[in-house]
Amino acid sequence: MALLQISEPGQSPEPHRRKRALGIDLGTTNSLVAAVRNGSAEVLPSADGAAMLPSAVRYFADGIQVGAEARRTAVDDPQNTLLSIKRFMGRGLNDIKTANAQLPYRFAADSDTVPKIQTAGGRVTPIQVSAEILKVLAIRGRDTLGGEIDGTVITVPAYFDEAQRQATKDAATLAGLKVLRLLSEPTAAAVAYGLDRNADDHERADGKIIAVYDLGGGTFDITILRLSRGVFEVLSTNGDTALGGDDFDNAVADWIATQARLKDINAVTQRALLDSACAAKEALAIKHSVTLNHNGWQGQLDRPQLARLLDPLINKTLRACKRVLRDAALDTEAVDDVILVGGSTRALRVREQVEAFFGRPPHADIDPDQVVAIGAALQADILVGNRPREDLLLLDVIPLSLAIETMGGLTEKLIPRNTPIPVAKAQEFTTFKDGQTAMTIHVLQGERELVADCRSLARFELRGIPPMVAGAAHVRVTYQVDADGLLSVSAQEKSTGVTAEIVVKPSYGLNETDITQMLQDSYTHAKEDIAARTLREAQLEAERSLEALAAAINENGGELLSKNERATLQQAMETLRLACSAGNSTTIHQQVEALNALSEPFAARRMDLSIKRAMQGHSLDEFDH
Amino acid sequence: MKLQQNYFQIFDLPIRYEIDAGLLAQRYRALQREFHPDKFATRSSREQMLSMQYTTQINEANTTLCDPVLRATYLLKLAGVEVNPEQTTGDSDFLMQQLILRERLEEVRTAADSQTSLDRLSREARALFIEQQQEFGSTLAANALDKAQNTLHKLQFLAKLQRQIEQLEEDLLD
Repeated sequence: MALLQISEPGQSPEPHRRKRALGIDLGTTNSLVAAVRNGSAEVLPSADGAAMLPSAVRYFADGIQVGAEARRTAVDDPQNTLLSIKRFMGRGLNDIKTANAQLPYRFAADSDTVPKIQTAGGRVTPIQVSAEILKVLAIRGRDTLGGEIDGTVITVPAYFDEAQRQATKDAATLAGLKVLRLLSEPTAAAVAYGLDRNADDHERADGKIIAVYDLGGGTFDITILRLSRGVFEVLSTNGDTALGGDDFDNAVADWIATQARLKDINAVTQRALLDSACAAKEALAIKHSVTLNHNGWQGQLDRPQLARLLDPLINKTLRACKRVLRDAALDTEAVDDVILVGGSTRALRVREQVEAFFGRPPHADIDPDQVVAIGAALQADILVGNRPREDLLLLDVIPLSLAIETMGGLTEKLIPRNTPIPVAKAQEFTTFKDGQTAMTIHVLQGERELVADCRSLARFELRGIPPMVAGAAHVRVTYQVDADGLLSVSAQEKSTGVTAEIVVKPSYGLNETDITQMLQDSYTHAKEDIAARTLREAQLEAERSLEALAAAINENGGELLSKNERATLQQAMETLRLACSAGNSTTIHQQVEALNALSEPFAARRMDLSIKRAMQGHSLDEFDH
Repeated sequence: MKLQQNYFQIFDLPIRYEIDAGLLAQRYRALQREFHPDKFATRSSREQMLSMQYTTQINEANTTLCDPVLRATYLLKLAGVEVNPEQTTGDSDFLMQQLILRERLEEVRTAADSQTSLDRLSREARALFIEQQQEFGSTLAANALDKAQNTLHKLQFLAKLQRQIEQLEEDLLD
């Protein structure tokens, strides 16, 4: 009789199982989830076969509905059905009202920081609404891949500012996802096309230049990438967070309304107008003319008329294309590939104009609605560790300058836009008045000179500066941006060492307490056991640490660790394993921390070794060319 | 690479003004390939922190060496000269030339064919910039630090002019 296998206590029974990784495109109009299965990335459809999940959430008194049904019935219940919520992410109520004149939603009176929308199911923030969409996609991923998800890559428009990125990450936390990276959508699209796999760019030392033209439902992005031997570098990015296919539909809908002499358009009529506008726009990619019917009016829309309606909007995108090229110090001839992303690029007029501008036909072989999710899935698969020999590396830049407020409502740029991340910059400031003991650090994002024209990200105070004459104090302010484009700021007065620091939770984001509260609310709602969830997360974290350290010891332990050190580390690993099976999440966290601290010198030695190898690698690299 | 290494050493490049941009780009990418946080996504939080410190430093070094003015300023700093940003060049011929260039920039705004005159101005400004870069390189190589500093001030002037030209280009686009 064959003997049954039993694994060691606390150890994963399948140490080398393929990790489950998701790529999620959290879109304005539609969202998608993709994963690498059987060696290729594909979009995971819902049970009834739909690849796209409409980004629509309808709130009832006793439940929530996400997706196609919510979108379909939006006209019946506009106040409780939230559409295009991505446009509200990381935005204050005033921004939202300025950018969207007629919204059917009821905003709560205390919406000063995070806007709250009154629905039949209670008050909800845009972050919570996005989290509901993410949850549906996460469940779809878990069901399709058959188990807990190890890591997720979520895409954001390259032009998303810090507040919008932070809001996206908060939504993911709320949905219970472990985010490996926020990836910019154009980069994801370029990865999906696998342009790094073409043989010819290996012959060019300076790499090739790719332009990604991304016209989604609510945002426009143009990004210039350089691809050189597996390294994607974002050279520059530009765009408009308030311009997209929805505006194209609106332009056509307005035209229909004018032609049909419609007055007093209510929400239901407006939706119907938009639906026929969208249908007409898509039909004109194939036909030369379409017939429209509205309230007894019948009329024709042909291609030249559509071009007249769309060209002002398309021209806006082309101006951004000129700017992005100038920022990258390139002209259109330097661009080797153009990629189209976003459902709105299906409009024939858009393709014609983009081709005319860049002087070459754009790539459009992959479904422009799916290409971003597919790229995200490929990157997630690499980051989670399924392809250790993968050469692909994505280098990103910050899309907007980070600045600080100085006297007179002016801004001083600390980190200019299009700087590669991660990045840190420090600058010294001083006091304005004699005896001044505190200083407000006001963190801003944007290109303009005046504070009023930039986005306010955070404001905090450095207190306890000893009284000195004006200009004598030296306050050093440091901005650090991580690889996701998220910012932390610290300030220190040099003579006294007084410090203050914050991880920037943008003014329109949520603080940790909010998130914890919302998490608890959602668990209560889903009747999920919080304790079980917390324990499972702690165990997953411990498993990750153990696995990473075991791999490191296996690789370099022999050359970098003394016998004693190695024994101590292994002892600590065993302690953590025991804690894992004992099942107390607080103890597990403590042991993980202890193990991390203990292994720090080893980590540093491994870094140094990598550096030596990277430097020796130079000569080899150079022979490759 | 050590965090305290100077920027040229990080990329194993000779400490001088003239720079092989292709080689710098290659080595920048080789280092990123080793140290970028994406390579540490499943590692311990300490390693992730180290990786961020290293890549931050690599990015800072690369940004400094790629930019002609920042690179010049950095080289002077290595030579023990702290450049005072308030100070300016005493070369009156140069200042006069700058005055004329800026007047021409203002005239472009109202010119009939503004794009063509702006292009011409842009080409001239670039030529002057290259000329001063060569001057900086040779004065620094000769260890004539005062002269080099004076040239740096000229480079700053010309860089600012180029930014203004770009700004005007932007305005003309809209």
